[in-house]
Amino acid sequence: MTQRENEALSTLDYHVLLAMAQGPQYGYAIKSAVESESGGTLRPRAGSLYRVIARLMSHGLVEDAIGVADHERHPGRARKYYGLTLTGRVVLANEAQRLRGAAALADERLGRATGRS
Amino acid sequence: VKRLLHVLVGLLPTAFRDEFGPDVAEQIERDLEAARTQGGVRVFAFSLATAVDLIWVAAAERLDPTWVGVGLGHKKPSGGDGMMRNWMRDLHVAIRSLRRTPGFTVVAVATLGLAMGANAGIFAVVDKVLIDPLPFPASDRLVVIAASAPGSDFPEEFGVSAEFYQEYRTQTDLIEDIGTTNWFTGTLRVADRIERVPLSMPSPTLFTTLGVDPELGRLPVDEDESAVALISHFAWVDWFGGDPEVIGRSYSINGEMRTVVGVMEADFAYPNDQVLAWIPVPQRAEGIEPGRFGLNLVARLAPDVEVETLVERLTTVAGRLPEKYGGSANYARIIERHRPVVRSLKEDILGGASTSLWVLFGSIGVVLLIACANVTNLFLVRSERRQRDLAVRRAIGAGWSQLVRFQMAEAAIVAGLAGIAALVVARLGLPLLIAAAPPTVPRLGQASLSMSTLVFTFGTSLFAALVCGILPALRGARTQPTGLRDGSRGSTRRRHRGRDALVAAQTSMAFVLLIGSGLLLRSFQELRSVDPGYDIEDVFTFQIAIENEEGLTDGASFARFHLDFMERLAALPGVRSVGIVENVPLNEGVGGVRMVTEDDASEDDAGALLGRTFTAGDYFSTMGISLLRGRTFEEADHLTNDGYVIVSEAAAELLWPGEDPIGRRLQWPALGTWETVVGVVEDVMQYSFRDEMQPLVYFPLVGQSPETYRLSSPAYVVKTSRAGDIAPEVRAIVREIAPTAPMYRVFTMQGLADDSMVALRFTTLALGIASVLALMLGTVGLYGVLSYVVAERTREIGVRMALGAGAERVRRMVVVQGGRVVVVGVGIGLLVSVAATRVLDSLLYGVGTVDVLTFSAVAAAMIVIGLLASYVPARRASSVDPVESLRG
Repeated sequence: MTQRENEALSTLDYHVLLAMAQGPQYGYAIKSAVESESGGTLRPRAGSLYRVIARLMSHGLVEDAIGVADHERHPGRARKYYGLTLTGRVVLANEAQRLRGAAALADERLGRATGRS
Repeated sequence: VKRLLHVLVGLLPTAFRDEFGPDVAEQIERDLEAARTQGGVRVFAFSLATAVDLIWVAAAERLDPTWVGVGLGHKKPSGGDGMMRNWMRDLHVAIRSLRRTPGFTVVAVATLGLAMGANAGIFAVVDKVLIDPLPFPASDRLVVIAASAPGSDFPEEFGVSAEFYQEYRTQTDLIEDIGTTNWFTGTLRVADRIERVPLSMPSPTLFTTLGVDPELGRLPVDEDESAVALISHFAWVDWFGGDPEVIGRSYSINGEMRTVVGVMEADFAYPNDQVLAWIPVPQRAEGIEPGRFGLNLVARLAPDVEVETLVERLTTVAGRLPEKYGGSANYARIIERHRPVVRSLKEDILGGASTSLWVLFGSIGVVLLIACANVTNLFLVRSERRQRDLAVRRAIGAGWSQLVRFQMAEAAIVAGLAGIAALVVARLGLPLLIAAAPPTVPRLGQASLSMSTLVFTFGTSLFAALVCGILPALRGARTQPTGLRDGSRGSTRRRHRGRDALVAAQTSMAFVLLIGSGLLLRSFQELRSVDPGYDIEDVFTFQIAIENEEGLTDGASFARFHLDFMERLAALPGVRSVGIVENVPLNEGVGGVRMVTEDDASEDDAGALLGRTFTAGDYFSTMGISLLRGRTFEEADHLTNDGYVIVSEAAAELLWPGEDPIGRRLQWPALGTWETVVGVVEDVMQYSFRDEMQPLVYFPLVGQSPETYRLSSPAYVVKTSRAGDIAPEVRAIVREIAPTAPMYRVFTMQGLADDSMVALRFTTLALGIASVLALMLGTVGLYGVLSYVVAERTREIGVRMALGAGAERVRRMVVVQGGRVVVVGVGIGLLVSVAATRVLDSLLYGVGTVDVLTFSAVAAAMIVIGLLASYVPARRASSVDPVESLRG
């Protein structure tokens, strides 16, 4: 299972990390952020979403951030907050870098292609 | 839905659930709320997707856990014993393989899911209505007791009289408690609200017999006499706004002020769920007049008492009644022939509904079997397609049990998904089923997807997994590594035999269901074409109860009121004629009385049992009942006391066989006056279209003296093409001329006729749907098998054609193969039907259980459909290009 750490992040992984990059978030906020920030292309179901979060936690990218936002606590039960670990920030930054590079490449190629015609 | 999804959250591995369970649940709930605002389809789609996701994650998380906990390091969890891990791995592989063939998965899950959903829905009803219909403690000891007197002119079964009750109740070694029960329509008046409602006058012991307690207040005792009443939970809420202060107050219930002493529980619905109030009437041992039959008894047997023992004892006890109570010679004659009728209360309450529901449950079960057969076929084809794959696995060392397990896992997953789909189908379908069922089915409204329905559905799921999986799994597991050698598919004949048998079985099951619905359909047609003696088109009917109106005292004044009222009705636009009768046919029955003629008046207790009713206006022409001889009543007959009556044909034949009844005289002994027959009319069916014609005597609105009798709440019949929408205008007239008179039993005759057939219509419709489903599934099964055979034999067919076989011959070969299977199936179906249609006997009318026409028509239709289903693959076979087929 350890080889997974070297695998590229999936789009869903990326968006989940991205959602937490603005500070620790509780579950449903992560889901909403993923939906809106992916432009609606990602609509994770409850089970799948937490399987991703579980994996990211097991791999040390995400941590339990309970207590960080105590003042926002849900009246019913203590809500769990998930936040990025240092590793998580680095991985997200690297992935963003990689995406930026890939996007720039695409722009360049498409731009050149349209420019020529 | 929410509960179901929560159950599914429970499937997640414990460690995962402990950590993320609440968050998962929160997301599901919030999204479900959001979906709810967008309508049912959205909720359905969301639930299905979420359920699939949860099951998928639960399985994946167990096989390949991502959650190993923080701070524990990346330790691999133990994951159970080896056997479990193997299963999990198989499931994992099976899920992947099913995902690769979405077409197969969707068809298999949908087929099973629909059939299982229908089963779950019917089961929910059967569970509530048939298995547990009585909300009384130890209800299996409750029985109803009635009387019969075979060989007399009394009805097949009738209520006992008071002296029976007095003697039966002393048999305390057999009968623990006994009460009387009945129901009727009476007036309930609370402040300004006056309505005719169903009421009951039981003995106070009814409540102790049933073992019920009130929700509020107390039960009645003998000392209450009839000055008190208990009200139903519904009446408490609907009439009194759920006010607990109602206890101790008095209201006008059935014409007298009575004190409400108790409110019954909401699920207390005896004798039916319409009764709004019970007026206890103590049964006294003194002053009994023997032979006043018509009392219905409910008894609680002592523990371990057999019905036969009770019947024997009651026969003896009843035989001694004339000795103790006296009574007429006719009474003694009835007692001589008397046999008690004892029946479980459950059977009594359910009546015909139980047959309908069992038939429905059985037929929908058959549909499930057919669906299973289809899915089994799909799996068989699938397993044969992967012969090579299995042979490879075998070659690299997979054991027999591993191959079985691998294939069973797929069936298990398909059946599991189908189970979830089934719950959704049942959830959506149950309200439709309840709406379509006859309203007389007790406790139907309480049917829901209860725990037992969930368990049942889980059971059918397991059953489907086994049935659909085992045959293909065993077949596939027989694969030998040698199968790899020649690279061919080997001989096909043997492998087809199993599938042919499945198709034949499907055909025979579908055949039986089609026969059943064919017979019901024919009964339905027969009943519709019955001539009941009257027309049901364009007739509007209602009753009003005018007993509280001012100025109405004797029979003549009531008659005057009715005649005036009829004139007002006749003046309404579009009304062709108006008439009065005590009770319209197909609604309440008519009272039975013994009438004597001048010939037999001298004999003691002689005379014939006839139906007695009252009529005025143009009743006969309004209802289309022909006048055969003489005349109908004229207005004068209702105002003076000439003593004229009209008899029906059957009554005339009974009283004066072969003679002219006009001018003959008869006597209703209770009146003591002689009445002269002035007319003879056509017979009518009084209760339902399955009835015999009942002999009837029609009296005018007034007797020979104005005090003899008075008609306070007859039924009016109005012939008008506006039968469906004239009610408001009639109501307006009633409010004007009789402001305190409730108007009730408002129907069209067409509506009453439809209601009288509702049980048959429901069963016909339900069995019809089941059999059409069965036919469709069976046809698809046959078509699928033949298509597969043709595809498999392309090479062989190519060779045959290359050797000179014509297209015609190839087509015939395939059609004959399909036809043979269908004929075998129809043959078996015929034999089974002869035995199985007997359960429909009580529902059928005018057609035998072995109806040659139905049987031959269905058989012919099935064979034609079978040949058609074979013809399409046959066409494909005959268009095989020999060159192409041999090249591949």
